[in-house]
Amino acid sequence: MQYSSATLIDKYLRTRKIPSTACSGCGLGINHKVVVQAIDELGLVPNDIIWGTSIGCAGRQTFATWKGDGFAGTHGRVYAIARGLRIALPPEKKIICTVGDGDAFGIGLMHLIHSARSNCDMTVIVNDNLGYQSTGGQFGFTTPQGAKTDSSPYGMFEHNLMSEGMDVMHILKGAGATFLARHVAMDGQRAVESVKRAILNPGFSLVHMPYPCPTNFASRELGSRNQVNIYRWIKERAKPLEEADENTVWATGVWHDATGSRPEFSEHVWASVNKIRKTGAL
Amino acid sequence: MKRFLETGNFAITEGAILAGCRFFCGYPITPATELAEAMSKRLPQEGGVYLQAEDECGAMHVCIGASLGGMKAMTATSGPGYILYADPFGWALGCEMPLVVVNSGRVGPVSGITGAPGQGEFYLTRYPTQGGNFECITLAPNSAQEAMAMVVEAFYLAERFRMPITVLGDQLITDGFEDITVPENEDEMKEMGFRTWPRGSCAGPNFYPFSDDLDIPPVQMGSGAGGLCSDWTPTEQGYDIEEVEAHHKHAYRLIYKVRNHRDLFNHLYEKKYMDDDPDLVVVSYGTPSRVVNTAVDKARSLGMKVGALRLINLWPFPDEHFTRKTKYLTVELNWDGQLVREVQRAAPKDSEVHFLGTCGDLPTIPDLLENFEKLLKNQPLERKGWELEAW
Repeated sequence: MQYSSATLIDKYLRTRKIPSTACSGCGLGINHKVVVQAIDELGLVPNDIIWGTSIGCAGRQTFATWKGDGFAGTHGRVYAIARGLRIALPPEKKIICTVGDGDAFGIGLMHLIHSARSNCDMTVIVNDNLGYQSTGGQFGFTTPQGAKTDSSPYGMFEHNLMSEGMDVMHILKGAGATFLARHVAMDGQRAVESVKRAILNPGFSLVHMPYPCPTNFASRELGSRNQVNIYRWIKERAKPLEEADENTVWATGVWHDATGSRPEFSEHVWASVNKIRKTGAL
Repeated sequence: MKRFLETGNFAITEGAILAGCRFFCGYPITPATELAEAMSKRLPQEGGVYLQAEDECGAMHVCIGASLGGMKAMTATSGPGYILYADPFGWALGCEMPLVVVNSGRVGPVSGITGAPGQGEFYLTRYPTQGGNFECITLAPNSAQEAMAMVVEAFYLAERFRMPITVLGDQLITDGFEDITVPENEDEMKEMGFRTWPRGSCAGPNFYPFSDDLDIPPVQMGSGAGGLCSDWTPTEQGYDIEEVEAHHKHAYRLIYKVRNHRDLFNHLYEKKYMDDDPDLVVVSYGTPSRVVNTAVDKARSLGMKVGALRLINLWPFPDEHFTRKTKYLTVELNWDGQLVREVQRAAPKDSEVHFLGTCGDLPTIPDLLENFEKLLKNQPLERKGWELEAW
C-alpha cells in the first residue's frame, strides 16, 4: 500500500508540530512514519492510543505530535509512568512510547526491565540514533564499538549492550518481554509489519529502530554530514536475522514473539484484586 | 467509630483509604515499610491496587501514572527514598498531578540510623526537586491520630492545589503504637473534621490556566480529547513553544496558586500559653513537640513564662507566628539546626533565636527545663561535648 505522509499527518498528527524541529536529514521522521503507518494499517484511531515520549531527540521531536492524548516523562521514567497509567486505563486503550536509546538502554533500563518483567501492555519504540545526539553527540549504550563521538574521540572502547556476543534484546527477553523486534530506519514495510505485531501484542513489546543522525554522529564518525553516507553506513551494517554474519551490527526482524504466553500486567493485577475483594484470598 | 491500639502506619493507611486513595506504589524502607505492608493488605479489600516498584524513583513515577489516569495515589518512604523522589516530584509539580507523599524521617545523613527518629528533611520537603520556581506544601503531624488526619487533609489539598503534598512524620510517629479512632462513614469523618475533595478530570488539551486559581481539574489521559502534559513548558497549545514568557506564566502559577491560598492550610498549628506574651517561645514540630508540650506545662507550674508553638503546616513557612520580638528556642531532631534558620529569618531582626537539637532520641523534660531556665536568665546554653548552639 502506498502512503503519502500528508494523508497520515491529517489523520493522526497535529499539523502545527509537523514537520518537527529535527535537523536536516535526520532519520527520526522515517521511524515516526513507520509507527503511524502501522497504526493506520491496524485501523486504529487517535482515541485508541495514548502516546508517551521521553527526553532527547526522539522524545522532544515526537511529543505532542499525536492528535490524541500524550505525555512526556522525565528522562528514562516514561516506562514507570506508563505502568501506573496502564492500571488506570481501560485495557482496550493502547500505550505507545517513542523514546531514544539513552532513555531506554541507559538511564531508564531498570524501569524498562521492570515493565517487561510485569508484561505491562505497552509498545516501546526505541529510536536509536547511536548515542546522545541532542546533547551534542556522546556515545550511548548501543553505539557501535569503535565509533568516534564527542566523548569517545579515540573510538568507543567500553563494552556495551551491542558488543560482540551481547545484545540488549537478550536482556529484555530474559526480563520477560513478550514481543521484541529490531529494524533499521530503511527497513520499510518489514518494519511496519513488526510494529503492527508489537502493537497487537497484549503485553510488553519493544521495537529497536536504529536511525541515521547526520548532524552529530555522522559528522564525528564519518567526518561529514552527508546524509547519503550515514544512511549507507547503517544499511551496510544491518541484515535480516537469518542472514546475519560477523560483520552485522544490527540483526533485524522479529527477535522474540511470545504473544499470549502469560497474562498482561493490568489485567492480571485487576483480576487478582477482584478475587481478593470477593473471597479474601487469591 | 472504631478504636484501635495501632501504629501510625496503620492510621495513615486508614486515612488514605478514607480520603479515596485506591493506588499505592512503594519500595520497602525502614520505617515506612509497615505502611506499604498495610496498604498491600487493605487496598485490595477496598478494590484498590498495591504495587511494589524497582526503586523509589520508579515508585513515585508509577503513582504519577496512576494519577494521570484519574486515580488518587500515594507513596511513602524515608529520607533515602525521598531523595529518589526528586525526579518524579518535579514532574508532578510541573504537570500539576495530585499525589500524596509520606516521609517518615530517620537519622541521616545517607542510611544513618534506620530505626530511630530524625528531622533532617525540613528543607528537603521545601525543595524536593531541582529548578526552583515552585512552592511546596508540607504537613507534619505529631501523633498517629493526627497522621491519619493530615493524610486525609493532604489528599484534600493535593486535589484542590493540583500538586504533590508531603506529609512529614518520623520513625516514632509511623512505628509507635497509640490509641487510634477511625471513622466509619462520611458523617463520622465530618465529625472528626476530615474533609475530602473529589478528583476532577480535564480531558484537555488546554489544561494550563495562567492564573493562581484553585480547583482546576488535573489532566487525565484516556479520553482521546488530546490531553497533553510534559516536563517541558506548558502553554495554551499544550506543548513547549520555547518562550521565556510562557515559562514565566507557568512558574507564576506554580508559585502563587500556593502563596495566594494559604488560608486553606495556615490554620494547621497548635499554640500553648501564647496569650500572655511569653518571654520564651519554644518552636517545634512532629514528635519533639510532645515532649515540649509537657515541659512547657511543667515550666509554667514552676513560674517560668514559657509558651509553645507547634507547627503542623511547615511549608510555606508560617511567618505570621513570628511577628513578636521575644526569645525563640527551636527543639529539633537534628544536630545541624534546620527549623531554627527559618525561625531566625521570620522573627524580628533583634529577636534572640536559639537551637536545641537531639537526634535518634527525644530530648528529656529535665533537659528542656534546664535550658528554658538558662535562656530566661540570659545564660548561655550548654550541651555535652558540642559547640554552643553551633548552627
